[in-house]
Amino acid sequence: MQAEDVKNREGTHVDPGNASRWRDQVLPLISRQYLIAILIVLSIAVGAAKPVFWGSGNISNVLFQASFVGLAACGMTLLIAGGLLDLSVGGVIAVSSIAVATALPYGTVGSAIGLALLIGAVLGLVNGLLVTFVRIPPFIATLGTLYLFLGLAFIWTGGKVIGLSSKNYRALTTGDILGVPTPFVVLVIVAVLSYLLLWRTYFGRTVRAFGSNERAASLAGLPVKRAKVLVFVFAGISFALAGAFMAGRLASAEGNMAMGFEMDVIAAVVVGGTALRGGRGTLLGTVVGALLFAVLANALNLLGVASYWQYVLTGAVLIAAIAVGARRASAAEVRGAG
Amino acid sequence: MNESIVAPQGVEDLVADERQRSAERAQRADNRRRILQNAGIGIPFLLVLVAGFVAVPNFASSSNVANMLVNAAILAIVGYGMTLVIAVRGIDLSVGSAQALAACIAAATVNAWGPLAGVVAGIGVGALLGLFNGLVVTQLRVPGFIATLATMSVFRGAVLLFTGGAPIMIASTAFKSAATAKFLAIPVPFWIAAVIGAAAVFALSSMRFGKHVVAVGGSPESAVDSGIKVKRIELLAYLIAGAAAGTAGVLLASQLGVVNGSISAGLELQAIAIVVLGGTSMAGGQPRIAGTFVAALLLSMINSGLNLLNVPSFYQYVALGVLLIFALSVDGAQRAAVSRMMKGSK
Repeated sequence: MQAEDVKNREGTHVDPGNASRWRDQVLPLISRQYLIAILIVLSIAVGAAKPVFWGSGNISNVLFQASFVGLAACGMTLLIAGGLLDLSVGGVIAVSSIAVATALPYGTVGSAIGLALLIGAVLGLVNGLLVTFVRIPPFIATLGTLYLFLGLAFIWTGGKVIGLSSKNYRALTTGDILGVPTPFVVLVIVAVLSYLLLWRTYFGRTVRAFGSNERAASLAGLPVKRAKVLVFVFAGISFALAGAFMAGRLASAEGNMAMGFEMDVIAAVVVGGTALRGGRGTLLGTVVGALLFAVLANALNLLGVASYWQYVLTGAVLIAAIAVGARRASAAEVRGAG
Repeated sequence: MNESIVAPQGVEDLVADERQRSAERAQRADNRRRILQNAGIGIPFLLVLVAGFVAVPNFASSSNVANMLVNAAILAIVGYGMTLVIAVRGIDLSVGSAQALAACIAAATVNAWGPLAGVVAGIGVGALLGLFNGLVVTQLRVPGFIATLATMSVFRGAVLLFTGGAPIMIASTAFKSAATAKFLAIPVPFWIAAVIGAAAVFALSSMRFGKHVVAVGGSPESAVDSGIKVKRIELLAYLIAGAAAGTAGVLLASQLGVVNGSISAGLELQAIAIVVLGGTSMAGGQPRIAGTFVAALLLSMINSGLNLLNVPSFYQYVALGVLLIFALSVDGAQRAAVSRMMKGSK
C-alpha cells in the first residue's frame, strides 16, 4: 500500500538513473517506515520486561484497543488530509453507541449497527454543513458540536448507563476470525477502503486537492463544498463504527464512554505520519500509529504506572510528532504540499 | 502611463477623491461591524436578563445575584486571556486543565504555607503553563489549537497525578472567605475581574503591547515587515492566558473550598464562547475585553437560570454548544458584511 503511494507521488518526476531512484524512492520508503521499526522494538522491549505481554489474551486486548482508535482514525485521516479536523469524536461515539444499546432489544443486530452508522452519518453531516456553509473553523465548530452531541447523549440516557444484553451482538463484536479479533479485521478492511477512497477516486483527489490548496481547488472547478461535507459524513460513519464495537466490548453505552477520545485518535493519525497541513494522508501509518499507542498504553498498565501518566504521555508524543513534522515540512517546503 | 501625461492636478484630485471615498467606506464598514457586534451580545443579554427576572424564581435574590457575579468574574478573567490569544490568531484549549492544576497547587500551598503563598503559587503556576504553551507554539511551530489540545491532556494528567485523584480540602477560612467577601455590596472577585478588565482595556488601547497585539492579529506578515517581534507577542499572549487561568483558578479554589483533579473540564468551550459572543473576531486583530466581560455575565445568568429551573445539567451542554455556534455565525456574518462594504458594493 505504502510503496504504491510513494510511487504515485514521485512517479511524475522519477529519473531512470539508479542512484536517483535510490534517493527518490527507496530512501523515503525506509524513512517513512521507521514507525513500524519503533513498533517492533517497543513490542520486543515490553515483552522482554513483562513476558505476559505476549500472552494471547493480552495481545487480543491490544488489538481491541488499537482497533477502536484505528477505526475512528481512518475517518480522521481523510479529514486531516483535507485540511479539516473533527473534535466531536467522543460525542458521535456516545450517541451512536447509545442508539445501538437502545435499539437492540427491538431489532436485529444488523439493523442496530445500521442505525448507529446512520446516526454517525447524520452527525457528520451536521459538522460538515457547519464547517462548509456556516463557515466556522472546523476545530471550533466541532468543539461546539462535541458538547452538543454529549448533551444529547446525556439527555437520551438521563445520565445513566444503558446495558447491552444481546448475546448475538456481543458475540459478533467481540469474537474473532481465525484468531484475530473481529474489530481488527474490520479495521484492516476499513483502512484499505479508506486508502482506495483517498488515493484512487475522484472524491479522494478532490479531498487531497482542497487539503493542499483550497482556493486553487475551487478555481480548478472541483466540487470542494460537496466533498467537504461528504468527508465529514464519512468520518462520522467511521466514528460510529468504532462506537458500535466499543459498546459491544463494554457491554454497555453511556454519555462519557469516549471522553477525550479525540486526542487518542488525532494522535494516532499524526504520529502515523499524516501532516496537519493537509494534502496527503497515510492509512498504513494511521493503523501503525493506533497500534503503537495501544502497545504503549498496555505497557504502562503492565508496568504498573498510574493510568494518569497516559494523559501526559499521549499529549507529549503528539507535540513531539508535530514538532518533528514541522521541521521536516519546512525542509521540503519547495516541493509543494504533495 | 496615461496618468503622467494628463495634467497632474486632475490626478491628485482623483486620488484624493478615491482616498476619501475609501475612508468613508471603511468608516461605514466599521460602524456596521460595531452595530452587529453590539447587537450580537446586547440583544441576547437583555433577553436573558428579562427572561430571568420574569420566569425564574429567586433569580433576583441577593444570594443568587452574588453567586452569578462571582461565577461571571471567574469566567471573565479566563476570558480576558483567551481574548488576547484569539486576537493574535491563536487559541488556547488548555485553559480548563491549566486552571485545575493552578487551583490544586494553590490549595496545597495554602494548606502548607498560608493564603498569600497560595495566591502567588496559583498565578505563578498558571503563568508557567502558559509560557509552556507559548514556547510549544512559537518555538516548536505546532499550530495553537493542536498544541493546546495536547497540553490540555498533559496538564490534566499532571493535576490528576498531583492530587492522586483525591480531593484537597482547604483549611484556611481567611482564604475561603475571600471569594464570598463583599466590598460596597458587590463580591470581591467581581471587583477583581472589573479591575483586571479595565487594565486590559487600557493595555490594549493605549500601550505599545496592545497596538502590537492588534497588528499581529490583523496581519502577521505586515507585523513582521514593520519590525514587530511577532513570536514574542504570541508568547506573551499565551503566557498571559495561562496567568489569567491561574488567577481564576485561585478564585475558584477560594469559592469551592475543596478542589480535585477533575474540576474545570470543558472550561475552554465556555471561554471561547464568551470571547466570540463578546465580539472578538476569530479572524484576529479585534480584541474586545468589554464584550467578553458582558458575555461572561450572560453565560453565568444562563447557567444560573437553568439551575434554578431544575433543568438537568446536560441541557447546559446543549445550551453552550448552541450559544457558541450562534456566536460564530454572528462573527461570520459580521465579517462577510464588512468585506462586502470594503469592496464597495452594498
